[in-house]
Amino acid sequence: MTGQSIVLAADVPFPPSVEDFYLPSILPWGAHDNYWFTKITLLVWVTVALLIVFFLAAYRKPQLVPTKRQWIAESVYGFVRNNVAVDMIGPAGVRFAPYLTTLFMFILLNNFWGIVPFVQMSPNSHIAFPAVLAVISYVMFIYVGIRHHGFFKYFKHALIPPAPWFILPLLIPIELFSNFIVRPFSLAVRLFANMFAGHMLLLVFTLGGFAMISANAWLAPVSVLSWALTIALTMLEFLVICLQAYVFTVLTASYVQGALADEH
Amino acid sequence: MTGQKPPHESRGDNGSDPPPDTGMGMTAVSYLIAGILVWGGIGWLVDHYAGTEGIFAGIGAVLGVAGGVYLIVRRLGA
Repeated sequence: MTGQSIVLAADVPFPPSVEDFYLPSILPWGAHDNYWFTKITLLVWVTVALLIVFFLAAYRKPQLVPTKRQWIAESVYGFVRNNVAVDMIGPAGVRFAPYLTTLFMFILLNNFWGIVPFVQMSPNSHIAFPAVLAVISYVMFIYVGIRHHGFFKYFKHALIPPAPWFILPLLIPIELFSNFIVRPFSLAVRLFANMFAGHMLLLVFTLGGFAMISANAWLAPVSVLSWALTIALTMLEFLVICLQAYVFTVLTASYVQGALADEH
Repeated sequence: MTGQKPPHESRGDNGSDPPPDTGMGMTAVSYLIAGILVWGGIGWLVDHYAGTEGIFAGIGAVLGVAGGVYLIVRRLGA
């Protein structure tokens, strides 16, 4: 296996590795052991700037008959408010709509860098970013629950299901594990793994084309097929990007709903 | 995303509605998996210290599934 990859690696580093996710530093330019300002950092800042500028510009002079920009911004906000916040949380969800919209747009744009030509690197393919987002959602739903029910009542509600006492020792560890340990992990890992795998897949098909064509000229048609598949996979990746942004938002809303729910 | 209809009750901030059903699937799956992992893990630890060959992990996993199903019925059922 290694021998094979060494042969293929004559020109291009064929089997892509995790190292490919650690890009050279921008400031200082080209440094390989400095990760303070890389393409990833730059992309996150560009995302933030784009979001702020777009929403400020779109709502600078709101009009009754919306302009095109205002219409786009209102559609996005309306989508998250009606189809995520109100649908999942109920009437009380309106006050979470701004956070959920920000979350949705931030994840969507960050993911989208993964398929923008010549950028093709999503910040969310580093687990740090999904992890921080998951921690924000985690802290938020616990805080909201404590605010709504009070500290002890919230944890009693979240940990102790309505069941006879002799079965509780079996159930409480399951509740603790599924409500407070699995949730942030699954949020972060789901987003990270999707973006990581998507980038890896595109790398394999692109670099694989080069590796095959440089190994043997007769493999050229297969290389072309591989590159064509890269384009097809980019389309698939677009689907994954939108879906993952949506799923993250919906699950956050669902956890908030669980924290706010009253016993019944 | 075009032509978003307003939610069923115009602004959606009056009165209290029954909680929606969405997200239930994820909750159910997470209860099942958490049940297996927690009690299977506890069983595995018991195995580890008692020197048995995995019998407690098996019992734990089965118990965990039972607990998970029970939780789903109690929390998500009618």
